Amino acid sequence: MKKMKFGWSGAKLLLLATLLLTATLTPISVFAQADPASDVIPAPKEFSLSTADLVYYAYWVLAALVLLVIVYIFNIGAASEKLTGRTVINWTKVNAWLAIIVLVAGGAGVAYELVYHGKHLLPEAASKHGDSIDNMFNWTFGFTFAVFVITEVLLFWFLFKYRNKEGRKAAYFFHNNQLEVIWTIVPAIVLTFLVLRGYSTWHAITQTPEPKAKQIEVFGYQFGWKARYAGDDNKFGEANFNFIDPATNELGLAIKPTVIALRDTLMADTHRLGNDLRNLSAILKKKAEDLSKMSLAADGKAYTDLMQELEDIRNGNKASELRKMMKRKGVQIQRINASLGNRDMFNEAANDDKITTEIHLIKDQPYTFRYRARDVIHSAYMPHFRSQMNVVPGMMTSFTFTPTKTTKQMQDELKNPEFQFYLFCAKICGSAHYNMKIKIVVESESEYNAWIEKQKRVIEPVQPEAPAAPATGTDTTATPKTAKNNNARPSLAMGN
Amino acid sequence: MSTAAAHGVHADAHEHHHESFIRKYIFSTDHKMISRQFLITGIVMGVIGMVMSILFRLQLAWPDQKFAILEMLLGRWAKGGVLDANFYMALVTIHGTIMVFYVLTAGLSGTFSNLLIPLQCGARDMASPFMNMLSYWFFFLSSVVLCWSFFVETGPASAGWTVYPPLSALEKAMPGSGFGMTLWLAAIALFIVSSLLGGINYISTVLNMRTKGMSMNRLPLTIWAFFFTAILGLLSFPVLLGAALFLIFDRSFGTSFYLSDIWLNGVGALENVGGSPILYQHLFWFLGHPEVYIILMPALGITSEVIATNARKPIFGYTAMVISLMGISVLSFIVWGHHMFITGMNPFLGSVFMFLTLVIAVPSAVKVFNYLTTLWRGNIQFTPAMLFAIGLVSFFISGGLTGIYLGNAALDINLHDSYFVVAHFHLVMGSAAIFGMFSGIYHWFPKMFGRMLNNTLGYFHFWLTFIAAYLVFFPMHFMGLAGVPRRYYAFSVIPEFNVWLEVNQLITVAAILAGFAQVLFLWNFFYSIFRGKKSTENPWKANTLEWSTPVEHIHGNWPGEIPTVYRGPYEYSREDREEDYYPQYIPGEDEGHGHGAPKTKTAPVHTEDAPAATGGNVLFSALKKVFGFSPR
Repeated sequence: MKKMKFGWSGAKLLLLATLLLTATLTPISVFAQADPASDVIPAPKEFSLSTADLVYYAYWVLAALVLLVIVYIFNIGAASEKLTGRTVINWTKVNAWLAIIVLVAGGAGVAYELVYHGKHLLPEAASKHGDSIDNMFNWTFGFTFAVFVITEVLLFWFLFKYRNKEGRKAAYFFHNNQLEVIWTIVPAIVLTFLVLRGYSTWHAITQTPEPKAKQIEVFGYQFGWKARYAGDDNKFGEANFNFIDPATNELGLAIKPTVIALRDTLMADTHRLGNDLRNLSAILKKKAEDLSKMSLAADGKAYTDLMQELEDIRNGNKASELRKMMKRKGVQIQRINASLGNRDMFNEAANDDKITTEIHLIKDQPYTFRYRARDVIHSAYMPHFRSQMNVVPGMMTSFTFTPTKTTKQMQDELKNPEFQFYLFCAKICGSAHYNMKIKIVVESESEYNAWIEKQKRVIEPVQPEAPAAPATGTDTTATPKTAKNNNARPSLAMGN
Repeated sequence: MSTAAAHGVHADAHEHHHESFIRKYIFSTDHKMISRQFLITGIVMGVIGMVMSILFRLQLAWPDQKFAILEMLLGRWAKGGVLDANFYMALVTIHGTIMVFYVLTAGLSGTFSNLLIPLQCGARDMASPFMNMLSYWFFFLSSVVLCWSFFVETGPASAGWTVYPPLSALEKAMPGSGFGMTLWLAAIALFIVSSLLGGINYISTVLNMRTKGMSMNRLPLTIWAFFFTAILGLLSFPVLLGAALFLIFDRSFGTSFYLSDIWLNGVGALENVGGSPILYQHLFWFLGHPEVYIILMPALGITSEVIATNARKPIFGYTAMVISLMGISVLSFIVWGHHMFITGMNPFLGSVFMFLTLVIAVPSAVKVFNYLTTLWRGNIQFTPAMLFAIGLVSFFISGGLTGIYLGNAALDINLHDSYFVVAHFHLVMGSAAIFGMFSGIYHWFPKMFGRMLNNTLGYFHFWLTFIAAYLVFFPMHFMGLAGVPRRYYAFSVIPEFNVWLEVNQLITVAAILAGFAQVLFLWNFFYSIFRGKKSTENPWKANTLEWSTPVEHIHGNWPGEIPTVYRGPYEYSREDREEDYYPQYIPGEDEGHGHGAPKTKTAPVHTEDAPAATGGNVLFSALKKVFGFSPR
């Protein structure tokens, strides 16, 4: 017993010490720190209490309270136990009442959430099938919420009601076929209903053909989206990942002059890589000279990078990397050559396609989004249209839906003039995953026509001879992509 | 078998052996020591996983704030005190991996299967103690490899715990897909080896090494749960190993199992054609879904035992409990497609998987109702173990019900990969399973360490964790319904999501509170190992065999003969007995009215020294008994 007492006071000391130490080591400024780069700290900012600060204080107050309670209990408990030899706190009672309190508080919390966030339960549906999903949701919610409330209340109520009492014996009750049959059959019936309803909803959404649907291609890449409209001929041009060139043909469309230009560049690249491979020893010599002129102190990272490069050349990594690159480009050239003769592929249908950085839709017009991915799996998520579909490299996926509300309508309904529909990525796809969205505008047919008129064709009809006309920049807001950003054409000779 | 028999014969001799430190504490083949090793490694990994979650929660709640402390802790991963986006992904990924595999699979199932299977079945040790030791050391090695990946220059794997290719297959797709990903795959391969070695052992011990009188229908529900868990693991983990090997091939040897038609920024068009990234998802989820039950079922088994013992009542519907466990196990193999409704899989397949998935709700509902009826008219002892078991039931209800939304393909269109999913699985397999694990720790701590945990700290631990867990995960449902996707580094990009900032802050504060509550537990745990009150032999007045072993651990578990079992494990509060418990090992004329009463009064199934039946026979006769289609 004595040992115990010493131990627990040690525990108290340790816990308090941890608290104090952490509190001092973690000043408020951790949570609201001024930019260290700026010399002048704006005065009012120092005194404003953000939510973060409040939460921070609340946390420490709570932690301190909890610790105090513990210390209190141990002191009083130990002292009175010594005096009377009886336990002071009846934990059975405390726990039983806590069960009731938590049940009531939890119920209040759930009710509050439902009232406060109830309107968010699902965002306003803006597509035709969205209503059927919401209907399905409401049925499921009705059943599950009832079960949730009943079972949780019973659980905590039993905990309170049948708490341990001196001299009482539990019922020797271990089996009742009737009861067990009932609670197997009833859930089975409810679930049968949900399955059947779910099946018909799912079938209606995914397997009902929509002959009048207009097609839009949505192209996902690290990290962004592009949309392609079929143009006046209402026919999409063929595309292939081997034709992709971020500067001139970012969707890899089958446009002969552009693809030929890409092939020629690739051939030149391969040639240069071959030269590099043959002259590795000369390059090594030159780089070693460069290195001797530099120093770690003066150049820092550039120096260590160059050292690493030299090391790679010496141990053969560089050579094998170059060979791999050449092989890869060789395969790509072969594939391009093989498809260049394919008239079905290079049928000029791509010429009037329109690549856009926004998606515009006509209200009440069915659409099929055909999804293509450039690099990794993305997921095209449009919660307001109740639509999501993975975008998978090497596999075309699609989703058909009908928008029923214009952007303007939604802005009015939500009383939020800033509201916009977005299509964003929901499948982890890299570091900027959270930054991958494209705006969707739903409007009337005339507004749509005015917008699509302004979008540039992939190949302008006025100058059909122009080889490799840039396909990007169709929208004024598009960020210019430069070839510098990709090392598709690397060369050792470049740079230094 | 022969090993165990040898143990039996030499049990007394072993007692007097002096074992070297290494033999006793490190390369021990004793199942009790191995279970402690699993538990402590699991706890260490759990703390790492929890700290990670708090780190990325800070980013989600205060995306623009600079936390000097982060830079102190993480260095280049949090320059200027702001978490790096790449490292955020790494944290999310490794948090998931650690929690799913290292804490809730190895830490939970590894600990309690090892401790309880021999003790509750009445065996001297596992069927193959050496393999058991290997199982732990492979697990340990795997943990080390995974933690090592934090010290790789490009950072640990960051493609999400499911590591979907092509993101995880292409080194240039993200920094975490470099060497960190290779280490992840190596760690998982080692982990699978560990899990298989353990699983084979558990199954053969349960089938072949039960003591006299321990027929399958007298097994405690814990053992049934571990038994089904081991079978699930044995059948599904090899598939993940296959998936991982294909991925290793794609990454390192230029194959195209999962790759096709890719143009990668910084590389160009890749040579790979003909593979399918969806193939990986099928293989992964063929493990992934049973894995959910590999995590949950041991927790459910522990809960059954703890609730019956502490309600001082027989578990209600023993047979139904076993059949529902079996139903869940079988169904768990044919529902993996519900993770893939919107991958572009044929929609018809989607409807099949929807049907099968929702069927699982039936056995789950039966389990919940049986727990409730067990509590009804009980005499509930509020031990911390009991409270945690109740917590599990609560989470199992609230998390399980949302599964009905996600299993419905039509609703999944909108909820897939949103915070609704995060809320769902953190409640039903995260919180529920971890509460089952805590329940087991509080209940069997006296058996593991011969000392008692402090109850008062246990109560604080429970209530704080319980409330905090609901505060963390319940609001996430609403975020998910509003269309907030998971694994986002910041929500500022979509203006509509800004309304959730306050909720995110609440969640983070609750997460910190939960972390604080675990400090109470850690203190209680490690302090009590050395200084806790000495335990008595049967502190909870439980019926099962493990409480007939001496408090001080000995090799071979029982000093003399292994006790014979006379009745089922849940004979609590019998009218004809003064005490409210009736241990399985106390001889008595009356064999009990409940389950586990033998159909005839003839000899027990088989004895330890003369195995009467092969594993297959025993399983078959057990199935017969459980389903009751025996001709008698």
